[in-house]
Amino acid sequence: MLNQRLTNQLAQIVGKDNILTSKISLASYAYDASPYQGRPGVVVFPISTEMVVEVVKFANKHNLPIMPRGAGSCLSGGAIAPEGSIVISFSRMNRIIDINPENRIAVVEPGITNKQVQLAAEPYGLMFAPDPASQNISTIGGNIAENAGGIRGVKYGSTKDHILGLEVVLPSGEIIVTGDINSPLEPEIDLTYFFCGSEGTLGIVTKAWLALTPINPKVKTMTAIFNSLENAGSCVAEIIAKGVVPTTMEIMDNTVIKAVEDYLKLGFPRDAAALLLIEVDGFPSDVETQVVSILNAFTNNKALSYKIAGNEKEREDLWKARRSVNGALGKLKPANIVHDIVVPRDRLAIMLEKVAQMAKKYGIIIGQVAHAGDGNLHPTLYYDHRIPEEVEKVEEACDEIIKETIVQGGTISGEHGIGIEKLKYMPLAFTKQSLEYMQKVKDAFDPENICNPGKLLPQIAED
Amino acid sequence: MKKDELLEIIMSCNRCGVCQEVCPTYIVSGVETNVARGRNRLIRLGLEEQQFNLDNEPELEKIVNECLLCKACEVNCPSGVPTPEIISNIRAHYTTTKGLPWAKKIMYRGIFSDNRKISLIRNLARIYQKSGINKLVKLAGLFNKTDEMLPDLPKENVRAKLPVLLKNFERPKHKVAYFLGCSVNNFFSSIGIATIKVLQENDCQVIVPDVNCCGAPHQSAGDQDEFIRLAKNNIKKLNELDVEAIIVDCSTCGSIIKEYEKLFANDKEYQDIIAKITAKIQDISSYLLSIDFKREMGQINQKVTYHDPCHGIRFLKVKDAPREILKSIPGINLIEMKEADMCCGGAGSYGIFNPKLSRDILARKMENYKESEAGILATSCPACTMQLSFGLKLHKLNGQIKHPVELLAEAYELKKI
Ligand SMILES: Cc1cc2nc3c(=O)[nH]c(=O)nc-3n(C[C@H](O)[C@H](O)[C@H](O)COP(=O)(O)OP(=O)(O)OC[C@H]3O[C@@H](n4cnc5c(N)ncnc54)[C@H](O)[C@@H]3O)c2cc1C
Ligand code: SF4
Ligand code: SF4
Repeated sequence: MLNQRLTNQLAQIVGKDNILTSKISLASYAYDASPYQGRPGVVVFPISTEMVVEVVKFANKHNLPIMPRGAGSCLSGGAIAPEGSIVISFSRMNRIIDINPENRIAVVEPGITNKQVQLAAEPYGLMFAPDPASQNISTIGGNIAENAGGIRGVKYGSTKDHILGLEVVLPSGEIIVTGDINSPLEPEIDLTYFFCGSEGTLGIVTKAWLALTPINPKVKTMTAIFNSLENAGSCVAEIIAKGVVPTTMEIMDNTVIKAVEDYLKLGFPRDAAALLLIEVDGFPSDVETQVVSILNAFTNNKALSYKIAGNEKEREDLWKARRSVNGALGKLKPANIVHDIVVPRDRLAIMLEKVAQMAKKYGIIIGQVAHAGDGNLHPTLYYDHRIPEEVEKVEEACDEIIKETIVQGGTISGEHGIGIEKLKYMPLAFTKQSLEYMQKVKDAFDPENICNPGKLLPQIAED
Repeated sequence: MKKDELLEIIMSCNRCGVCQEVCPTYIVSGVETNVARGRNRLIRLGLEEQQFNLDNEPELEKIVNECLLCKACEVNCPSGVPTPEIISNIRAHYTTTKGLPWAKKIMYRGIFSDNRKISLIRNLARIYQKSGINKLVKLAGLFNKTDEMLPDLPKENVRAKLPVLLKNFERPKHKVAYFLGCSVNNFFSSIGIATIKVLQENDCQVIVPDVNCCGAPHQSAGDQDEFIRLAKNNIKKLNELDVEAIIVDCSTCGSIIKEYEKLFANDKEYQDIIAKITAKIQDISSYLLSIDFKREMGQINQKVTYHDPCHGIRFLKVKDAPREILKSIPGINLIEMKEADMCCGGAGSYGIFNPKLSRDILARKMENYKESEAGILATSCPACTMQLSFGLKLHKLNGQIKHPVELLAEAYELKKI
């Protein structure tokens, strides 16, 4: 347990300006963007790897839990501080150490935001491909720990596909450097992958080597409207089958279309069953052939109508619908829960259909937006947290959504992580053996279980 | 606002954290207590009285006072959470239950509420600056740089000069009132003079009604009673005028007058009068554009960059007009500086009561200004002018802070020569 004496010692390690201990300030580190609440014991703001090492050694010596924290935008409770923990906030380790356009590498501290990396890379015609919707605030450390994905994910993959190497402070206080920044192709056991998606449970990332990607010179954006989810779903399948890899392929269901239309009056038919938003990029000739294939797929699958953006302004207009989903639906109810399920692409339409039926069955609002290209759905359940019956219905619907996902051969998280929220679903998604091996990995890195305990891995019952 | 209503509004914050990107106090400190999300959360906990109580926590009170009311969070918030309004409500609650802290009381009620007293204090302050006492005081460490924040004070305020400034037109093209705010009147008379001259240059008959302080300092401190009293006075004065527009050259005054509406939400009669008045409020740049201002003027060869006052860009929603004015002046090369719309940390008397945060925010503004390599930093709010001038001094930068209308007046003047 932390006490005054230990807190003073910590203050000596990080300096008195880099520590928070008061009741009030700790209350502002008890939450992230999920509905859960934690109880931090103290918050420190290290400014160097050495400082992190000292803090971790200190925690180890006194057997105190630690939790790294970026922007606190986690949706699954990964950044909820364990009882009496030392929260290590990276808001003051946020420098870009180097950008090397020839090698297309950025070296950064973990507290830098995704957007700052984009801004620094852009002048060289480069980008960091992962682009979570939270990119303006979420940090590279958090992106790595949650293996964040984004709208460009269909084409470019998720965070783990763009990390060349990491500097990590292990729970023992040792520093390791993973990966091989000179050649991503080296055959080896690349420890980098263990840390991507580990939700801060294996170690603390203090530096990252990021692979940058050239920005393609041309983009084309289009939308199409369908009168059944099935048609939209088969359209997605056809586009992919033709070998077109869009950078974006988002699908929105009727609940979302209606809410967005009522909110923004963009001229979509309120009774449309599905809207597809598709964007392709590449060299001009390449883009044109892709557009032709996509338009064919629209016609083959009975799209009611479609639009292609002719200029940047029209492109912005098409994106507007997608960007305003949260704003539009958020107006209807004070609270919401967003799911992050993944199903095989050919099950997308049926899954959307099933969830829409559940909304009817429970009499609640579920808006559905999905990254159709990789089968990642974000059904969002809107409710009033002060009405117990609504909360209960939402909980039941959540369980049913997860069960249906598993039935469809899918899994419980595409990009938001397990955190606390989906702990109880882990045994549904993974076999006991898989979970046991995950636990062995955890034990190898963190035998004392001090690193963000209580997240990601469920307690497996002994039998 | 009632506790329940307030809680209802706070609950629309879903803790997404998007405000981190734009909240100046968070940007410079990186601490969650200093961002809209944290402030909302802590206020909510304080109101719910489970973990702690709003009224017995000096630290919470400090956090509430550290908000700049700059509105950056609100305009970027996906859920549209009106954090500044929440903060203002809590400050008003503190002021009602605890009274204003003595320093604020003297400063706001004692000085800003009364035109004559502002002038008197101004004169005293000028003596203080000229006599060298300030050096002694500074030595004693008493004011700790606060005095440097004061601008060099002009000899006479604008109101005293009105008889010579105001022209009578036989057949004016336009008839306007000029809301002469207390900062411009007393501390930055060159802005007020420029506004009057430029309007007259554009064939406007200018009336300067005898208004009092708009109430911004009182509102920001949560001194609701005094704010209402000042507002009523001003509404009366402005309602009497027969003019096509009421011109402001201070973004803060303009925004605050537009907020009077909220003060009388339950009073239909006042509402109607205020609606009529607010419809006429125009910032000087937008007004000049709307009357197709005179483009014949002399040349000013300068690189200029523009700082958006919070009350300009986010309250009055004026973005392009001042830039258009600047671009219309021959010789001026207008460059955009980084984060032009981020608060300068002035926020009225914020700098005096929250020196550390204010200085850090100012340092960032100065860094961005330096990077722009402009020789003139233009802005449309005297509170910003004060803070930015202080910034130049503090960071030993060359350059001048000017209102666009001052530059325009200069350019007109040059043409005449
Ligand atoms: C509006 C909104 C939109 C979102 N959109 C997306 C989206 O499109 N795609 C997506 O994938 N996610 C999305 N998210 C979820 C969230 O933004 C991501 O999970 C993000 O990567 C979290 O980053 P963070 O900096 O906020 O991390 P935090 O929330 O602070 O932490 C998340 C986890 O990372 C760990 N961690 C943080 N820093 C380190 C470090 N240096 N070393 C080790 N572990 C660390 C923490 O312990 C915690 O377990 C969204 C969230 C919001 C609120
Ligand atoms: S952006 Fe708005 S909803 Fe999100 S945390 Fe900030 S105040 Fe709350
Ligand atoms: S008003 Fe400005 S300082 Fe206050 S919380 Fe919002 S962004 Fe931050």
